Amino acid sequence: MLSRVVLSAAATAGPYMLGTGLILYFLSKEIYVITPETFSTISIVGLLVYVIKKYGASIGEFIDNLNEQKIAQLEEVKQASIKQIQDAIELEKAQQALVQKRHYLFDVQRNNIAMALEVTYRERLHKVYKEVKNRLDYHISVQNMMHRKEQEHMINWVEKHVVQSISAQQEKETIAKCIADLQLLAKKAQAQPVM
Amino acid sequence: MNENLFASFITPTLMGLPIIILIIAFPNILFPSPNRLINNRLVSFQQWLIQLVLKQMMTMHNLKGRTWSLMLISLIMFIGSTNLLGLLPHSFTPTTQLSMNLGMAIPLWAGAVITGFRHKTKASLAHFLPQGTPIPLIPMLVIIETISLFIQPMALAVRLTANITAGHLLMHLIGGATLVLTSISTPTAMITFIILVLLTVLEFAVALIQAYVFTLLVSLYLHDNT
Repeated sequence: MLSRVVLSAAATAGPYMLGTGLILYFLSKEIYVITPETFSTISIVGLLVYVIKKYGASIGEFIDNLNEQKIAQLEEVKQASIKQIQDAIELEKAQQALVQKRHYLFDVQRNNIAMALEVTYRERLHKVYKEVKNRLDYHISVQNMMHRKEQEHMINWVEKHVVQSISAQQEKETIAKCIADLQLLAKKAQAQPVM
Repeated sequence: MNENLFASFITPTLMGLPIIILIIAFPNILFPSPNRLINNRLVSFQQWLIQLVLKQMMTMHNLKGRTWSLMLISLIMFIGSTNLLGLLPHSFTPTTQLSMNLGMAIPLWAGAVITGFRHKTKASLAHFLPQGTPIPLIPMLVIIETISLFIQPMALAVRLTANITAGHLLMHLIGGATLVLTSISTPTAMITFIILVLLTVLEFAVALIQAYVFTLLVSLYLHDNT
């Protein structure tokens, strides 16, 4: 158990031990000489590591965003094209359904025309009737007038002859009788309101 | 001490073979080219970075100037990566050699100026005289402007060389001072070490800034001339 812990610790620390050992070896034996360039190296490499550790992830995300935008743009174009085609398909289907129902329209139009024809026929019939009646009324009124004229003429002729036939003697007698009748009537009329 | 100080700047040879070509070509490996639609993180990051730099740098140019964009972006990536890799210990930085910087600066500057003279001759010649100078000063000013024009490539190359070399030398010297001071008095050594750390931060910044400045100036010369 203890040996296992020690061995695992030694395993994880292995590469670091190697690195440290090598560096110290190179430095102590002056295989790697410390020159002025060493300090420039330290400052440059230190700066680079710091900058990359601090801003690396955010720059990576930024670039991923750029690519995402490109893909999104193309995707949008594709989707718009698909949608357009789908809309066209639906429009076509709707038009086809409408065509199926066109016969209703034709029926209604046919009925309209039939009614219009009927109305025209009846109008003309009525006009004919009226015209004929007009002509017949004319003949009737002509007849009536002739009849009336004949009657009046006959009556005038009869009156004239009767008046002519009344002699002067008959006229005097008739007038005396009328006066006697009138006197009688006047007495009767005077008598009545007293009652 | 003298030999030690400048030892890092000699042309590196491996067993008598000059491997400077390999060292210059090395940063190319660190920039993989995109293979797929969605790449791994390194390639995506590189794509995003290059797009950022490109937009920032090339918006001020017209169509003719933008034909230079590949050249300028390669330039800034090369100088930036070489400078940053040179900060690692015991490494060689090609941009510390004046020969290489001259080789970069002179052709680029000459290309910009000659393009300007070919296509817009009057405007390029007009650059020699700033607006609103009093008439008696004109001859002297033209001479001064000519000298200033011809100094541009030299300034580009020497600026880059001097900055990077001076940075490396300073780090070496302060590291040496820290080394000596550790045996004399440790707190002073600590302070010197802190100075060294701050200098390192500066060096990182300088590495990137110098690349930027170089490319920016070339693009400025380009803008004047297109």
